[in-house]
Amino acid sequence: MLIRFLYLSAIWFALSLLATLIVGARLRRSDPTLSLGWLAAVILAGNLIAIFTFGRIFEIIILSLIAFGFGGYWIMRLRDWNAAGQVTWSMTVLTTILFIIYAFMLTAFSPLNPISFVFALIFFFLEAITLVLALAHMHESLDVVCRTRWHRLVDKLEPVPGYQPMVSLHLPAYNEPVEVLEKTLTSLARLDYPNFEVLVVDNNTPSEQTWRPLEEICRRLGPNFHCLHLDQWPGYKSGALNFAVAQTDPSAEIIGIIDSDYEVEPDFLKELVPAFADSQVAFVQTPQDYSDYKGDLFSESTYRGYKYFFEVSMPARNERNAIIFAGTMGLIRKSVLEEIGGWDEWCITEDAEASLRILKRGYQSLYIKRSFGRGLMPFNFEGLKKQRFRWCFGGIQILKKHWESLMPWAHWVDPDNKLTLAQRFYYLVGGLGWFSDVFNLLFAFFLILGAVFNIFSSPVQVRPLTDTVLVIPAVFLLLHILRFLWVLRNRLRVSLGVAMATMYNFFSLGWAVTLACLQGLVQREGVFLRTPKSKSASRAWHAVHVTQWETTIALLCIAAGLLSYIINPNWRTLSLCFLLFWQGSLYLAAPIYSLMSLRREATLASQVSEQGRPVAEQWAARWVVALSMVLIAAFSLISFLPEPVALPDYTRFLPVDLSVSSVSPASPFSSLGGLNTSTPTATVTVHSANCREKPRGNGERLAILYAGDQVEITGRNEDLNNPWWYVTIPNSTESCWLWGMTATTNGPVDDLPILP
Amino acid sequence: MQRELQTELSRLLEEAQHDVEQGKRENAYQASLKATRLAPDEPMAWYLRAQSAPSNEEHLICLSRAYSLDPLLKPARTELRSAVHRLLKQEPFLAYVHETEELYQVRSGLDLLINIPKNRAFEPPYLKKNPSLLKPAFTWLYLSLLALLLGGVGAVLFAPITAFQVLRIQSRPLYRADRVRLLVIMILSLLVWIVSIPISWLFLIRFFP
Repeated sequence: MLIRFLYLSAIWFALSLLATLIVGARLRRSDPTLSLGWLAAVILAGNLIAIFTFGRIFEIIILSLIAFGFGGYWIMRLRDWNAAGQVTWSMTVLTTILFIIYAFMLTAFSPLNPISFVFALIFFFLEAITLVLALAHMHESLDVVCRTRWHRLVDKLEPVPGYQPMVSLHLPAYNEPVEVLEKTLTSLARLDYPNFEVLVVDNNTPSEQTWRPLEEICRRLGPNFHCLHLDQWPGYKSGALNFAVAQTDPSAEIIGIIDSDYEVEPDFLKELVPAFADSQVAFVQTPQDYSDYKGDLFSESTYRGYKYFFEVSMPARNERNAIIFAGTMGLIRKSVLEEIGGWDEWCITEDAEASLRILKRGYQSLYIKRSFGRGLMPFNFEGLKKQRFRWCFGGIQILKKHWESLMPWAHWVDPDNKLTLAQRFYYLVGGLGWFSDVFNLLFAFFLILGAVFNIFSSPVQVRPLTDTVLVIPAVFLLLHILRFLWVLRNRLRVSLGVAMATMYNFFSLGWAVTLACLQGLVQREGVFLRTPKSKSASRAWHAVHVTQWETTIALLCIAAGLLSYIINPNWRTLSLCFLLFWQGSLYLAAPIYSLMSLRREATLASQVSEQGRPVAEQWAARWVVALSMVLIAAFSLISFLPEPVALPDYTRFLPVDLSVSSVSPASPFSSLGGLNTSTPTATVTVHSANCREKPRGNGERLAILYAGDQVEITGRNEDLNNPWWYVTIPNSTESCWLWGMTATTNGPVDDLPILP
Repeated sequence: MQRELQTELSRLLEEAQHDVEQGKRENAYQASLKATRLAPDEPMAWYLRAQSAPSNEEHLICLSRAYSLDPLLKPARTELRSAVHRLLKQEPFLAYVHETEELYQVRSGLDLLINIPKNRAFEPPYLKKNPSLLKPAFTWLYLSLLALLLGGVGAVLFAPITAFQVLRIQSRPLYRADRVRLLVIMILSLLVWIVSIPISWLFLIRFFP
C-alpha cells in the first residue's frame, strides 16, 4: 500500500507541478473554493491514471481522501498563494514524506550485512536532508511566483517632507584600480541628496602608487569626500569598516556601504532614506546589479545567477522580514550598527552576519526591488569560483556561530532573541542550503562506488536497486529541475537557453561550495581559495587547469557509468549510467564555463577582493580526499562480512515493490487481467533471494537468485498480501518458490494458477 | 604635599579654562602645560592644553591623551574626531598599532601616535569564546548523534551518559540560559535514545538474522 500511495502521490505531484509550470504564474487570484476544486481535479486525474494502471479502487479512495485533507490544510494555511501553488506544494510535501518513509523501510528491512546497513543508514539521512532542502527551494519558488498578495512589497517609498538625515557612505577598497574607484566616486558626487559624506577606506593596499591617487580624487570632489588609508589593519574589510564607523560624522544617522566598483544612480539616497523615518527600520537593501553582462553566455549566466537571489530569495524573505543585508547598495541605521557592536571582524560575510544580529533585536528590514547602481562581475570563472567560496565560507561561519539562535528553543535560551519562526527558518535554510553541494558530491561518490562494484561484479551493495528507488528519485530530480528553470524564466524573464545556462552556472560552482563548506566546518578564521597556478602560458590551458578537480570528478562519473553499462548491460545499469552522466555533467560544467569565460577575461581586470589566509585548492581538497578514503576503506569492509545466506525474517516488513510497467500509463491494461497474454515474469530486487521448495520461509532452498535476475512465473500462492511466486529456475527445467517481497513482477499475475 | 599639588593643579586648570574662554591662548597654553607636567594623568589638563596648543599635531596628541585617560570625557572625544579628520586631509595614512575595547591606537603618516575612540559597543568576538561548563554535555550529545548515524548502538549508551552529564552539571550554579540549554540537551538525549533503540535493533539483527 505504501508503494502504491507513493506512486499515486508522485503522479499527483507531477500533474500539479506540470500544470503550475503552464499556468501557475498567470493565475492572479487566490480563492479557497477554486483551490479546493483544483485539488480535487488533480487528485481525480491522478486517480484515473492509477485505476488504469495498478487498480485497487478502495485503496485509491482512501489515499485520495487523505490527500484531499492534507491539501485542504495547506490551502487554508497558504491563503496568499494561488490554487496552482497551494496544490503543488501540498503534493510535493506529501510525496516527499512518503518517499522518506519508503526509503527508511527499504533501509531498515533490506537483507544487508551490518556494514552495508550503516552505509544505507547514512545514505538515508543524506537523502532525507536533501529532500527537505529541496522542499525549502520549492517553497521559495512557489512563494514568489504563485503569490497573489504581497504584504511587504514596496516598489517606491513615499518621500517624508523635511526628513533628510545625514548619511555617511563608506567605500571600502583593497588594491582597487584607481580608474574604477574614480568612476564610483564621481557617481557618488552626483547624488541628489543634500546631506551626506563619503569615506573612502583603503585598507592594506600594498602599493602606495595604487592608493595615493585616491587622496587627490577625494580632494577634487569636495569637502564631504574623505579618504583614509589604513595600513597593517586587522579584521579585513570589517576591520576597515569598523574604523570608518569611528570616523563617521557624529551627526550621521545612516550608514551606506558601496563597493568600490559600483556606479550609483543620483536618486539612491533620495529614494531610500525615507524608509528610516520609521524608527523600527534598521536596514534597507536594494538589488546588486551589474552592467557588463552582455555579449557572452558566461557573463549572462553569471549575471542571472546573481539576479536569482535578488528576484527570488530576497522578495520571499522580505515578506517575513528576513532579508539579508548584502552590504553594497544597502543602508543601515548607525545607532543600530553601534548597538550590535559594529561589523564582526571574524566573519568574511560581515554584512549578512550583522543583519542576523539586527533582526535578533526585533528591528525591521526592508527590501526595495529596484536597482540603484551597477558594479562589475568577476572577470573569469576563477574569480567567480573564489567569490562563491568566500560567500559560502562566510555562510558556514554564521551558521556555526548563530545556530543556537535559529533553533526552536532559541527564545527560551535567550529571551532577548526576537527572531520569528520564519526568520529562523530562512536563516537556517540559507545556511544549510550550502551543504546541498556537499551531499551532491557524496551522492556522486556513492554512485561511482556502486558502478565500480557493479563492474567487478562484487556482491557489495548499500541499497537494493528497486524500481521505486530508481523511478521516484528520477521523478524528483526531473521535476525540481523543471521547477528551477520555470522560476528562472518567470522571475528573470529569460529564454529557456539562458535559464539552462544559469542553472549550470550554479552547478559549475558546486565543487568550490563543497570545499568552502568543509573548510568552514574545520577552520575558524576567514580564508580565501587559491586556485592552482599553471606553468603554461596558454590562457585556455590555465582555464582548464583551475578546474582540474571538477574535471576529474566529471570524467570519473562518466567513465564509471559507461563501463558499468557496457560490462553489464541491463536497464538498471542504464539508469545508473544516466544518473552518473547527470552527476558528471554538473562537474563538467566547471571547465566549460571556465573556457567560456576566456572571452570576458580578455577585456576586464579582476575585481574579486580576497581576504583572510590563502588556502590552496589542493590543500582544501584534502578533506574531500580524506573523506573519500574513509568511505572507500569502510566500503571495502562490507565484503569481509557475509551477506545473509537465507532471507532474514525481518524482510517481511520490506515494502512490496511495483514494477515500472505496472504504473506506466503506456500499458493501461497490463494489470487488468485477461487482456494481456504475455507470460508474467519476476525480477529479483534484493541482493540475493532464496528460491525454496515450498512457499514458506523454512522451505528447503533449491536455488539462489541474484539482483536483476528475471524468471518466468508459472503459479502463485493464494495469499496476495504475502505473495509467493512459483518460478522456473534459470537454465533449468525445475521450479521453486520465490518470495514476492524480494522481486517485482511484470505481466498479468492475478490470473496465474494458484498452487498448493 | 598631595593636597598642595591638588590645589596647585586646580588653580592651573581654572586659570587655563578662564584664559581659553577669554581667548588668551598663550596664557592658557602655559597654564595647561604646567598642569600636564604637574599631573600627567589628569585628562582635563591635557584637554585644556589641546584647546590652546600652538600646532595641529600637539592639539591632536593632547586630545588623544585626554581621551585615553578618560574615555567618558565627551568634548575630547568629539574634538578628537574633527582633529583626526583634519589630519587625514593632510595625510590619509594611518597604521594600526594596537586596540582595546574602547580605542584604536594608530600611527599617522606624520609619525604621531594617536588614540582614536571606537564608536560602538563591544561584542565578545566569536573566536575568543570562553569554555563553557556545558561542554561535556554537548560533546556527549554530539557523540550520541554520530553514533545514531552509525547504527544506533553507540547512541543507546551515549545518550544516557549525556543525560548523566546534564544532571551532574545541573548541580552547579548556572545562568538561566545554561539551565534551559541543559533541559534541551536532556530532552534531545532522551529523543536520541528512543530513536536509537529501534535503529540499534535493526543493526544488531544483521548479526543474528
